[in-house]
Amino acid sequence: MDKILCSVATRGRYFTTLPLVLNAIINQTRLPDKLIIFDDNDEPKDMRNEMLYQYFFQMLDIKGIKWEWLFAEKKGQHHIHQMANSMDFEWVWRVDDDAIPEPNVLESLALFIAPNVGAIGGAILTPPLLPTNTSTGHIANIDSENNIQWNFISTVKEVEHLHCSFLYRAGVHDYNLGLSRKAFREETLFTYGLFLKGYKLFVAPNANTWHFRNPEGGIRSEIKEEMFWHDEQIFRNTLNLSDRTIVVLNSGLGDHIVFSKILPEIKNPELFTCYPEVVPGRSIAEAQRLFGDIEPWNIYKKMDSWKWKDSLESAYRKLYL
Amino acid sequence: MIIISPYSKALRNGKQNPKNYPYWRELIAQIKEPIIQIGIEGEEQLTPDFRKNLPIADLKALLRECRTWISCDSFFQHLAWSEGKPGISLWSVSDPLIFGHPQNINLLKSRKYLRENQFLWWELVEYNADAFVPPEVVLKNV
Repeated sequence: MDKILCSVATRGRYFTTLPLVLNAIINQTRLPDKLIIFDDNDEPKDMRNEMLYQYFFQMLDIKGIKWEWLFAEKKGQHHIHQMANSMDFEWVWRVDDDAIPEPNVLESLALFIAPNVGAIGGAILTPPLLPTNTSTGHIANIDSENNIQWNFISTVKEVEHLHCSFLYRAGVHDYNLGLSRKAFREETLFTYGLFLKGYKLFVAPNANTWHFRNPEGGIRSEIKEEMFWHDEQIFRNTLNLSDRTIVVLNSGLGDHIVFSKILPEIKNPELFTCYPEVVPGRSIAEAQRLFGDIEPWNIYKKMDSWKWKDSLESAYRKLYL
Repeated sequence: MIIISPYSKALRNGKQNPKNYPYWRELIAQIKEPIIQIGIEGEEQLTPDFRKNLPIADLKALLRECRTWISCDSFFQHLAWSEGKPGISLWSVSDPLIFGHPQNINLLKSRKYLRENQFLWWELVEYNADAFVPPEVVLKNV
């Protein structure tokens, strides 16, 4: 069975909704293999000294769920999710620190794990519930419909993006680390990226998470309007180029030469390069401005994370074809 | 005519690039045919004919003219591969199975010298002259 990591990013909610979330995770009918709490608090505490948390840690140990409490770098939750995404688990169930899953959520989501599936989400219920009977979950309708996850889900549906809390295939697509600390749209960009890579996304029935949007604390509590617009612009740029294969060659001349061999096979490429005399394209600075983060196209970082042993040309094939 | 491409890109910390072959002078002294060195301004001149900062098109033209070429692990071995001109690549700590091309003669002294992580910054790698094959081995393959 595929190993599932449960990741919870938390800030300012030690004694409000976080305990409810942990209790809900510990009492799932299908337990995760490991729980990591990423503590992004401005003044982190050692929760082993808190009686309430001692109970949680005892229950985790008795139920055989490995757990870890990590102190995050305060760069925003997208950095935390990318850490979880790179921890060599097959799947990650990400749960917000004010989103309380019913006991069967992980079990219901995991039913849809399959080789061609990228992510599965359930209902994310924030009272008062909004109507979603005409919602499609298509990215083209993101501005005109209520998110399909904002009400009970009666039947499984294929969608193009997910929201808030979901189970996802780890290590196949990166979070955009160019977003602001607020990380507006981070989960939409991430799940839509999985969709663009050819993985199916589903919303599943009988997987209800109660999202209370606790006004205190929260990983996104730092709100500045310029952060919103910065992130929104990256989101819109990504959408505008979603029919193109984005290629960013921020590397040496030799790499460009090797890459040029596979270029004719790339469907509808949009190129950003350092050596336009070898591979014609727009500048790297432009890619940085459009997408915020160009590391997902860093072939050396990719080869490192893939523990690559094959040729550079094959690595480019894996990244772009 | 033989082309030599002796140097890999200069490192930002000013240290010797671990990909640079240490025995060029000894090797060149034993080659009995015309040699053209290619490279960029600032690199040490090893032969009377040193052509600096050539555009890609000119390098391709030279490749068509040459009998063979010898290069450290630099862009040049990729360019020659791309142009279908086999030659000799000199390796030390980077893995020719990843960064080389089987169409070339890839001279690696031993896989025991390969750096553990093949994808780290070169600035983090110490230079090791012992990791290269001696000139006699290169000469046998020219």
